[in-house]
Amino acid sequence: MVPVAVTVADGIAPSTVVPALERAGMAVDRVLDALGVVTGTVPAEGVFALREVPGVVHVERQRQVGLPGV
Amino acid sequence: MPEPTDTTTGRYLVLIDEGSAAAGARELSSVAGIRTASTLEGATAESLGTVDGVIYSNLGVAVVNAQPDQVNALAAAVEAPGPIALVEPERVVQALAAPAQENVTAAVDESVFTWGLQAVGANISTATGKGVRLAVLDTGFTVNHPDFAGRTVLTQSFIAGETVDDAHGHGTHCIGSAAGPRKPASGGPGYGVAYEADIYAGKVLSNAGFGSDGGILAGIDWALNNGCAVISMSLGSAVRPGTPYSQVYETVGRRALSKGTLIIAAAGNESRRPDKIAPVGHPANCPSILAVGAIDDQRAVAFFSCGTVDTVGQVDVVAPGVNVYSSWNGKSGDSLHKRIQGTSMATPHVAGVAALMAQQHNARGWELWARLMQSARRLGVPATDAGAGLVQAP
Repeated sequence: MVPVAVTVADGIAPSTVVPALERAGMAVDRVLDALGVVTGTVPAEGVFALREVPGVVHVERQRQVGLPGV
Repeated sequence: MPEPTDTTTGRYLVLIDEGSAAAGARELSSVAGIRTASTLEGATAESLGTVDGVIYSNLGVAVVNAQPDQVNALAAAVEAPGPIALVEPERVVQALAAPAQENVTAAVDESVFTWGLQAVGANISTATGKGVRLAVLDTGFTVNHPDFAGRTVLTQSFIAGETVDDAHGHGTHCIGSAAGPRKPASGGPGYGVAYEADIYAGKVLSNAGFGSDGGILAGIDWALNNGCAVISMSLGSAVRPGTPYSQVYETVGRRALSKGTLIIAAAGNESRRPDKIAPVGHPANCPSILAVGAIDDQRAVAFFSCGTVDTVGQVDVVAPGVNVYSSWNGKSGDSLHKRIQGTSMATPHVAGVAALMAQQHNARGWELWARLMQSARRLGVPATDAGAGLVQAP
């Protein structure tokens, strides 16, 4: 499974897109209403299908982030 | 091959999808007739005399000599499916000598306030940050630190299995610079910029210092829902030159600004000046997230501070990030404070100044951004390193 972050279009409540994301194979972790973002995981071959879900603007694989090293 | 200019070498960089170096070599040959050698096979930059290009396998980048028709073919390959992700002219990267210090002034007197507070003028500002909510998304917070007794601190952990307690120390240090005391209960110099701001400490990095986009985005969402005017993020991941910024974070940055929340992030510490200037990392490289570089107490750019390398992903401002004294996660005595360095330390200074401005001018969002840029003190260093300059308290 690949961790992903999905943005939905301006003016669309992300919770309304969640059922379609789940039908497309995404296991939803968090629905971030203030940001219009949904995070979760999806099988690697399912990433493209998420982009086709109505209301979805971007789908990105989540990165590992840490403290900047010196 | 095109003539080199002041800023380009006449060669081209070809970005190849991760793990596709071999396929990239085949593609370069088939679409543009460019013969390459790989560094895995011992090729070096000097090999460009005998082949058309060198592939740096670990970087996923090829440096190639290309005629205009070959450049056009490569550009077409970028648009088509395949391992070639990006083509751009190879730049001349100027090594920057540290600014001349003909009259090196005496070390700053830190008996009352840290040099950082003095450099941003926080110690002479009447603003305190009172009534402004300031979020720091980091490794958490040392909740019982004596210097923060009586302060409003709200906490939330976004790391599974870990409380907000900061077993690392980094988060406590950043919170100290942004919003710590001017007269610490445990003694020593004052070190906090917005010393009466309400603190929102979100733990989005583990005690080992790691996290992922999902937790960070959840932390940003939490800060927005709590009406925070400023979010300070001393975190990131290094990117290669030419890497596109995250569309998700850019959208989030814009939406946050439109809701009155300014996101401020560390530019990154991957430079090794004067030899190497590394690009601003993720997510500070997003245009709508304010990227912060670091300077020392002589106003020189810190050797590690990332710079503006790409056409987007610029350093917006700088702040104190060398030999920075602030709170630490120890339980008593010397371990209550620590001196460390990094763009991580510069970022909360900017966040603190932003909180002072939010109070003083009732500014939020884009207005806050504009006021930070307008009032920053210009430094005698390239804008690519310092952006608008050293932030100044109102």
